[in-house]
Amino acid sequence: MDILAQAAGLVFQPYVLLVIFASACFGLFVGAIPGLTATMATALLVPITFFMDPVPAIAAIVTATAMAIFAGDIPGALLRMPGTPASAAYVEDAYLMTQDGRGDEALGAVLVFSAIGGIFGTIVLVTTAPALAEIALKFSSFEYFWLVLLGLSCAIFVSPSSVTRGMIALLIGLFAATIGIDNPAGQPRYTFGNVELLAGVQFIPAMIGLFAVSEVLRSIVYSKERPKIDRSGKHTVFKRQWTNIRRYPIQMLRGSATGTAIGALPGAGADIAAWISYAVSKQFSRQKEKFGRGHVEGLVEAGASNNGAVSGAWIPALVFGIPGDSITAIVIGVLYVKGMNPGPTVFINDPQLIYAVFMVFFLANIIMLPLGWVAIKGASTLLSIPNRVLMPVILLFCIVGSFAINNSVFGVLLMLIFGVLGFIMEENDIPIAPAILGLVLGPMLEQNFITSMIKADGSFLAFFERPIAAGLGIFTIVVWSIPIILYLRRRWAGSEASPKEDLPQG
Amino acid sequence: MKFNDFVLGVLVLIGAAAILVSARNFSPIPGQAYGAETMPNAIGIVAAGLGIFMMAKSALMGFQGRAVALADWAKSPMAVVGVAMALALIGVYIVFSERVGFVPIAFLILLVFMLTLRTRIIVAVPVAIFATILVQQTFGRLLLVPLPRNDFLSFLW
Repeated sequence: MDILAQAAGLVFQPYVLLVIFASACFGLFVGAIPGLTATMATALLVPITFFMDPVPAIAAIVTATAMAIFAGDIPGALLRMPGTPASAAYVEDAYLMTQDGRGDEALGAVLVFSAIGGIFGTIVLVTTAPALAEIALKFSSFEYFWLVLLGLSCAIFVSPSSVTRGMIALLIGLFAATIGIDNPAGQPRYTFGNVELLAGVQFIPAMIGLFAVSEVLRSIVYSKERPKIDRSGKHTVFKRQWTNIRRYPIQMLRGSATGTAIGALPGAGADIAAWISYAVSKQFSRQKEKFGRGHVEGLVEAGASNNGAVSGAWIPALVFGIPGDSITAIVIGVLYVKGMNPGPTVFINDPQLIYAVFMVFFLANIIMLPLGWVAIKGASTLLSIPNRVLMPVILLFCIVGSFAINNSVFGVLLMLIFGVLGFIMEENDIPIAPAILGLVLGPMLEQNFITSMIKADGSFLAFFERPIAAGLGIFTIVVWSIPIILYLRRRWAGSEASPKEDLPQG
Repeated sequence: MKFNDFVLGVLVLIGAAAILVSARNFSPIPGQAYGAETMPNAIGIVAAGLGIFMMAKSALMGFQGRAVALADWAKSPMAVVGVAMALALIGVYIVFSERVGFVPIAFLILLVFMLTLRTRIIVAVPVAIFATILVQQTFGRLLLVPLPRNDFLSFLW
């Protein structure tokens, strides 16, 4: 109890609370702008944290990260421009809810279940971090290969369009991921002598192009009426969430647990977590047909999973000093600078500091609720601005966001190319989201496959020789088999097409 | 421009062939059976299978829909001009931003795009000025993004 009291003493100081509040506002601002990421918010905070004590320094980064990841959902729901690849999993549902006049409910669901997922992940972090980290470290390239393949498969099967079109999108993303020199053999591929392409296709300009620029173009050609947000003054953001909690408790817990577990795997992270959770939610839902058409259930599970993964990523970071993602990699650096060397010894040498960090996690997820509410209310005014004024301003943000990734106009060129590609894809009912996931996970898939094959001396059986790998492999094959079996069953029953092909386009 | 399933299948198959042919230029890691060609080959093989499946399925279902159809919006000159202008303005930024500087080019992009979308000039000009300064101050000063400068407006930095 002494340690807890000391930790509370470190956190509940006006200075630390002010830092948490300021970094929350900063995180919300950065996350809500398409192109600016939670990683960028973290990197920008690093020089400022040099002048802070360890607890406020970590508090600033933890709070800004949690806020930025939630804020990425705001442009996703309002404008169909997700801030992160993880948000892309459920952007269609969130946006369609907004178009249906339920934008407050969609954003409220993402906000509340993000906070719940984040708090769940933190509880796991506090109680079982060392045990979970031990399991996470048993994952080798074989397990990661299946996990990535599972994530990619989910992207196809949850797509509101047909499976074949989902696969086209995924192959486009995977092909784009092969560009550059960053492959196991270190050979330049499809660079055409361009030095900038050696570094590959960065996913942020590609994502801005595929989602935001194509949406700007679509708004021009279809002159869509902007969706309305409830402006009656009632607190509709939180109003329906209690109902959602009571209606979807299993989805909420399953999403939080899946997100935390996947987040704890170094290198996996929120993207795979959100997609797998969305697919699981759809698979076990009694209202499968509503997914991708403005249904809140997927938002509940994938939203919780998304932020659960953010908390989960801290498990290997704090217990072993192994970064789970780019954000924790930066934070580990900050921890070293502050003399809090992450690893098992930090729990013995500085327990009050580590418990103070845990308290900051809880505070960051709790403060997300009121500040998120303010951000949602503020951002909703976007919908009252006519397209002819809003879209040019969004285009400028897209240009600058793409430029800011490498401070080069090459990012803007990538954005332009992917914008045109995204527009053509959407015109042909090819979903965009699987392409983004292919681009993000393609290098992981290749790296883990080649590494595994080299380790196994070319034997495919090695992918089933380890217990966790075998379990994941069999599960992935089952996931692939279900649509084929359903298709064949329908054919035999005299139906004309597969169940997925029968669905109207989303 | 919309393609039916058969044409999409053909396009996917052509893409697969291009990937498989180009993958022959890549070689495995020395001493190994796998390397830089593995992923493009895998993508090419899956894409080829997908293309053939789409073509066969479309043929079995009687080639539903027109092979290539122009979208309805393509008949509206305003929509075509709007799309062309949006793409051209991004191109203008790519080519001229380093030479002219961020502030004038951003103002120009906003103004021209808004006027193309038939925003009244009395609204377009103040919005373009405000948004340009907002973006420049936010990204250029607060987030320290090295946006291209020009001497004339250097006081903004």
